[in-house]
Amino acid sequence: MKKFILLILSMLLVSGYALASELEYYKVYKPKEGMTADQIMEIKYQNKYSLFAQDYKLSKCTILYVEKNGFTQKKEAIRERIVLGGKNGVSYKDVIVLTEPTQAKGLAVLTWTYEDPARDQDTWLWIPSLKKVRKISASESDDSFMGSDFTVEEVSTRKLGDETYKLIGEKNFEGYTFEYTGEVKYKGTPCFVIEATPVKSPWYYSKRIVWIDKATGGNIFDEYYDANGKLFKTLFREWNIYKPENKGYPKQDALECKDLRSGHRTVILNQDEAYDIGLSERDFTEKTLERSKW
Amino acid sequence: MRLRFLIGIIISFIIIGIAGFVQAEVIANFVDKINPFEKLELAGYLKNETAFGFQRDNNDGLQKFKNVFDLKGNYKLNDSVEFYTDINYWYDAVYDIDDRYDSIPKKDRSVLVTPEDKYILKELYMDVLTDSVDLRLGKQYVVWGTTDGVRILDLVNPLDLREWTLKEFSDLRIPLWMLKAEGSITKNGGLQLLVIPDYEPNYYSPAGAPFALRSTIIGAEGAASPFVNVRTIDNKPERTLEDSKVGLRWRDVIETGMFSGLEYTLNYLHTYDSAAAYYVSTAPGFPVPIKLTRNAEQIEVWGGSFAKTITKGLAGDFGKGWTLRGEFAYITNGAMNYGTDRNIVSTVDVDQYNYAFGFDKTFLTNWQFSTQFIQMIARATEDFDHSKYTLLFGPTRGPLDKIENMLSLKVSTDFIHERLKPEVLVLYGDDNDWRLAPKISFEVNDNLIVAGGLNIFYGKEQQMNGQFDDQDQIFIETKYSW
Repeated sequence: MKKFILLILSMLLVSGYALASELEYYKVYKPKEGMTADQIMEIKYQNKYSLFAQDYKLSKCTILYVEKNGFTQKKEAIRERIVLGGKNGVSYKDVIVLTEPTQAKGLAVLTWTYEDPARDQDTWLWIPSLKKVRKISASESDDSFMGSDFTVEEVSTRKLGDETYKLIGEKNFEGYTFEYTGEVKYKGTPCFVIEATPVKSPWYYSKRIVWIDKATGGNIFDEYYDANGKLFKTLFREWNIYKPENKGYPKQDALECKDLRSGHRTVILNQDEAYDIGLSERDFTEKTLERSKW
Repeated sequence: MRLRFLIGIIISFIIIGIAGFVQAEVIANFVDKINPFEKLELAGYLKNETAFGFQRDNNDGLQKFKNVFDLKGNYKLNDSVEFYTDINYWYDAVYDIDDRYDSIPKKDRSVLVTPEDKYILKELYMDVLTDSVDLRLGKQYVVWGTTDGVRILDLVNPLDLREWTLKEFSDLRIPLWMLKAEGSITKNGGLQLLVIPDYEPNYYSPAGAPFALRSTIIGAEGAASPFVNVRTIDNKPERTLEDSKVGLRWRDVIETGMFSGLEYTLNYLHTYDSAAAYYVSTAPGFPVPIKLTRNAEQIEVWGGSFAKTITKGLAGDFGKGWTLRGEFAYITNGAMNYGTDRNIVSTVDVDQYNYAFGFDKTFLTNWQFSTQFIQMIARATEDFDHSKYTLLFGPTRGPLDKIENMLSLKVSTDFIHERLKPEVLVLYGDDNDWRLAPKISFEVNDNLIVAGGLNIFYGKEQQMNGQFDDQDQIFIETKYSW
């Protein structure tokens, strides 16, 4: 019996290790020819959570909720992140504060994300109507992120080990019409095309096809398929290189997620971003949340 | 009176009208235009709250027709210094339009119709924010503890109980003038110091109002007797530094080891009981002179709280995602009445041991379950005849169990991109005392929220919820924010 338990424990440890990213913090990586699907996706996650930088500040994030008939609602937020590089097991800490609309103004969320891929985030919420900070359970990964078409995992919790990956090939992207501006984006852009299958089953998607831009390592387009193999959701991301500092940091400037079943879509616009501005870890505590007034 | 009612009706129509036709951006742009200060940020809302009683006897009918105007402003002088205020004014027309409330003396009724002058200014403070210390000086709220809707450690601000606990907690607390200083000692930990040279008792409804406490009604019946002459004296602390309340809280989050992610606090509060205790004395004469002294007892509160989310399954994924919360308070030097149901014999010193545990979890994608177990134990530290008398529960003047147990359960979810949010709250007291409160809210657009629900009470009149057994209500709320 003892041996059996030891075997199970060692399997868990080995699998846990295998799921963790092997990339170093504070370094920018780019996908290259000959890399495996797992290696390319590791870079994609490094970029998604900006683990290449010391810290990150987004001074204005606009979220638009657009119904099929054009009815639109809007939220605005600010966001700060500090990358801790695994200190005390913490990968990064993150604060999001809603600034608009008034009825949600001041709502603030603090999350700590751990290196251990088997571990959920710790989350604290400042609730303006209660005037208090509340420790909350992490949202279910398949729940809608703030009522949008994105799920929680698509925005903040999905990790490398949550899916298995297969490199389908290298193709030029056909282009995506960004409905918010009407522009066609990334037409003819060279991409790695990866099929990602969720470990959880059943899950809200059976697979997704991920288009990774070779230039930035960012996933510019995701196609989500349901259990019947039918495309039900698309997710577009516009990646650019952070300027004026020539650090080569890839950043997401715009996102558009379309639910093809309901016709509802969500647009996220990231404006006024800054990296390596010297944020302190003390800015990522409950005390910071309590500074909120609204 | 008629004019104010007319204003109330007009405001209600304005809320609904502008919400339907005017985008808040138009209002926000207008406010920005007339705002002479670039660093001044303004926001506010108009709200109508209407409630109907639908239970028994003569209690059915309008219970509330309240219009609220709220204006918040924040002036950011620089990165370290800010000034904030919240001005809130309301008018509850029900007391002017419904003659059922004519029995309430005019002076008492006035505090149900509009807020007291001092209460219009809900918050007014200055923030001085530095890397090591945050100072907040002025009229404000401070909330301690991890439980929802239950006051174990959350004893800093008194409560406005004129609508019992049916209002949002932000409207329930009464702000106090104080200094709050919070210093960072460790990376995640810090010490909070409160100095509060201000005192307000809890606010209660006068007899005759829908949510008048049973103890208030009994008191009013006694006072109305031709055979007694009641004189009430309030003993409360002065608003001086000498009579100041003082609070200390140490809070930290453990980052490593097996308790990683555990948040805990240790709290101490030297304060005066907001629920003032009654002392009764009589003298010979006719009508019998009764002196009723409401004494704001000086109490000491020692306690702590914790919250921990199980972020890594205990065995596999078992237990993952549960948030465990708890808090404890040991309150010394308090006082309570003892006697029999309805009748106060006298007052004794009491120590209280109150604690609560809560469990939260999200199931099935977006169904949040939050449950709490609360136990409150009161022990008299002075002797009285326990064979004849018991301690009395302040709000009802009914017998108090040696140990009071309560359970709460809240289930909530959302639909249509979080625009439609149903929830239900169930409160249960161990003497078959219940409150059931289903509610549904809908976000019409970014600025307008409409909500409706029920508050159903059940139990014996001596119990917390049972005393309002005949006050079951249906309510609707319309809130327009800009």
